[in-house]
Order: sequence, then C-alpha cells, then structure tokens
Amino acid sequence: MAQRTGAISFLASFAKAASVRVFLALAVGVIAVSGCGGGSFSSTDTGGEVASRAGAGPAGGSKTPGTSASPATGLTGGSPGETAAKPASRASNSKATQNGSAAKSGPHITPPKGPTEEAPTPEQVAHATVADMTLESPAIIASGGSPARLAATYTCDGQDSWPALHWAGVPTGTAELALFAMNVQPVEERLFVDWAVAGLNPGLGEIKAGELPKGAIVGTNGFGKAGYSICPSGAGEIYMFALYALPQSLLPSKGFDARELRKEILGVSGNVGLLPAVYERG
Amino acid sequence: MRTKATAIGAALAALAVLCAMFATSASAAPAWKFEGKSLEGTEVVMGGAIESSMTIPGLTTKCEDFLYKLTVENSAGTGKGSLTEVPLYNCTTNSKACTVGTIGAEKLPWPTHLTTVSTTPYIIIEGVKVAIYYEGEECVLGETLVTVTGSAGGSIDNAAETATFNSSTLSASKTELKALSQKIEWNGLFPTEAFQWHREQALSVS
Repeated sequence: MAQRTGAISFLASFAKAASVRVFLALAVGVIAVSGCGGGSFSSTDTGGEVASRAGAGPAGGSKTPGTSASPATGLTGGSPGETAAKPASRASNSKATQNGSAAKSGPHITPPKGPTEEAPTPEQVAHATVADMTLESPAIIASGGSPARLAATYTCDGQDSWPALHWAGVPTGTAELALFAMNVQPVEERLFVDWAVAGLNPGLGEIKAGELPKGAIVGTNGFGKAGYSICPSGAGEIYMFALYALPQSLLPSKGFDARELRKEILGVSGNVGLLPAVYERG
Repeated sequence: MRTKATAIGAALAALAVLCAMFATSASAAPAWKFEGKSLEGTEVVMGGAIESSMTIPGLTTKCEDFLYKLTVENSAGTGKGSLTEVPLYNCTTNSKACTVGTIGAEKLPWPTHLTTVSTTPYIIIEGVKVAIYYEGEECVLGETLVTVTGSAGGSIDNAAETATFNSSTLSASKTELKALSQKIEWNGLFPTEAFQWHREQALSVS
C-alpha cells in the first residue's frame, strides 16, 4: 500500500479500534459486494482550464505521490500527492488528464476571500449566554420540516395571552428565571419585546397558559403595556420565546423596561432556552 | 448434547441471517470511484460550497465560503470518510441587528459514509457540531452561543460532481440538524474534487 501516507494515519485508528467480529462481518460484506461495481459516471471533456498538476503523479491510479503542498484554499494540505496547484475558478472545468482518460468535469474549489472565521473561544463561551436549556410548549409544536406555529389564540387575534411553557436544564446555582417573548426581526432596528416576566423561582419547571406564579414581576413591553401582547403589524411574524437562567437576581421593579432588563441579563452571562414560533394570520 | 446441537444450530442460523443482512446492506451501499474504478486506499477530497446557509426560524446565517476536507476510502465495499476540516468564511445573517461574532465546526473529525436512497447515492455526515456566537445588542440572539448538532445527508450528483444538502435531502436520508431543540434548515451545494492521488479525475459514487 504505497499510497498509504501520513494524511491517512487518522483512519488507521478506526482500523485498530475494530473488533475481530466487526472485521469478520465486514469480510462477509466484501464477499457480498464483490463483482457489483461499475455503472459509474464517466465525464466528458468540457474545455475549461486544467489545474496545474506539477508534481502530481500521473492520473489513472498512479501510486506515486507527488509534491507536498497546500492548495490555496485555507484547508491544510501537506499530504503527499497534493500539489501546489492553485485551484481554478469555481466556474471553470477541467480538460482531460495527461494520460488522455476522461477527467473531472465538475467545478473546482474556489480560493476563499478573507480570513477563516474563528470558532468561539473559551473566553467568549464563558461570557456568552449559552443556549443549552430546553424550552417547549404544548401549544408550539413543529410538524414535519415546518417551523413551530403559534396559534391565533395566543395573539391579539385571539385571547392575546401566553401559552403554557415548560423547561428543563436549569443550571444549579441559578438565582432567578426570566421569561421573554421577542420579535426575531427587530422593529425599526430595535429589538421588540412582546412580553417580559422576571423574578421566577429557579425551581419552577413550567408555567400554565395565562397564569403566572407568585413572585413573578411583569415588565413593560414594546407596545408600552405591562403584560403580554403578540400582535404583528402585517400578515405574520416570527417570535422567540426565551427563558433566561440568571446566576444573580436582578431585582427589577414592577413594570420594568423589558429591553433594558434584557441588556442587563445578557451582561450577567447566564443560560437560555429558546423556542421560535411562527404566527401567520388567516 | 441435544441442547448443544440446538445452540450450534441457532448460532448458524443467526450467522446466516447476519450474512444475508450484511450482503444486502453491502450491495446497496455505494463506493467512491475515480474514473469509474473503485478507490483503493484513501483519497483526500475537498470542496467549497457554491452557496450555503442555515436557518433557525427567522434568522438565516449564510457563509460566503464553506469549505471542507474529507478523507475517503472504501471499507468492505462501502464508501466511508472522515471530515477533518470545515473552515468557514465571511458569515453573516439576514438580520441587520445580528452579526456572526464567531462560528466554527467542533468535535472534528466527523465520520461520513455513503448510502443509497431510492437509487440516488447519498453522503451522510454524522456528529455535526457547529458553534455560533451571535452579536448585536438589538439582536434576538445577541451575545448568545447557539450550537447546531446532528447529522446531515446530501444527495450526490455524479454528472455534476457535487453534493447537495437541503431539507429534502435531509428528510430523504432520515437525518436532521437541530438547534434550539428544533430541526433547522441547511442548504448547500458542494463540489467534490480529489486533491491527492486522483487529482483531475472524475469522481463518482455508485
């Protein structure tokens, strides 16, 4: 296996991990599929650019590795056989390979512009509000591939009162829970809060539809009302119910400004359970 | 003695059933091919999404470039692979209030395998985990870390040498990606291109 290189050493760990039984089962599979190959697509020449193959082994199953270098893609190369070729544009295709056999006809990888996005750092994670709690409602259930829908009864087209909500995953050490309903898309470039309730006991696991537990403090929403109202200006809207678990109590007063409280909440870096819901009129 | 014979008989019957199952699944599973020939050993396949976006209801996150590096091999006649790198570039959202602070694939490598769904070859990616940290004071997900997890199945077009991921392919392959406890949409069209031993060769699966 001359072509087994450092680049594939990762796969060797899978092989080592496989038990004898699995190996035997796979061997049965090999016997079963032997002679079942063929029938694959063989492309035709399309007349685009040929990516440089300098240093690469000849096409058609050569086992000789070529020069090691990375393509200009941001992906690490370094494996024998990877060439210094700069990939052609996405739109361009390849000609036949040097040995005359049918060659790649599909598009080539495009060198991306700009730097690679960075994964969240541990510091960011530590300061972020982490969406790792579960927030659900028997009234907001996704069906098939469609997003979960909010029934009209929970909007100004109905009773305009909140649905039952239940949750799980509140971290230990949580001092207080706060519930919000917000428009996903801002209104006039500002976050629009439809409902905000603070002061919820962290031991709670649910609220009933239209009822709030003792100690709950209701804030003033985007409509200027101390309470709940989901009332899209148009044919519909997408809303986000959010349950924040706060590591410290923020002690808001009755009728607090919902937007201001949310800013404070994001500053204390807690956890959140999020439940998107779509409401469409008619 | 009779018990022992019965046990051996049962074991043989079970083995026969297992063999039949493996034979069926193996014959149904496609393999990686270059120039129509089954890949021997391994190959590095790379590609970049021509378009790729992910939608949490109401908020679409789009990356201008979404590359991948996949080490592939045929194991027992079935195409397998290991997605080792998934660099993302220029990611934005469809909301003016929300920016993508950071985004990255986690828990790599992600295992992959080929399968057939209604005569169409599919690649299944398992163990997907992408962390996204959104920013924006007026953003509903501002200063929030959202993680996308699950598996994704994409249909492979041998003629175009591309893999397509969308809600139909995820559904057809019985895979799903989830964020916020809900199924989310992921759309992407990924060209496939060998970068090691089979550069410039036609890549197909069958």
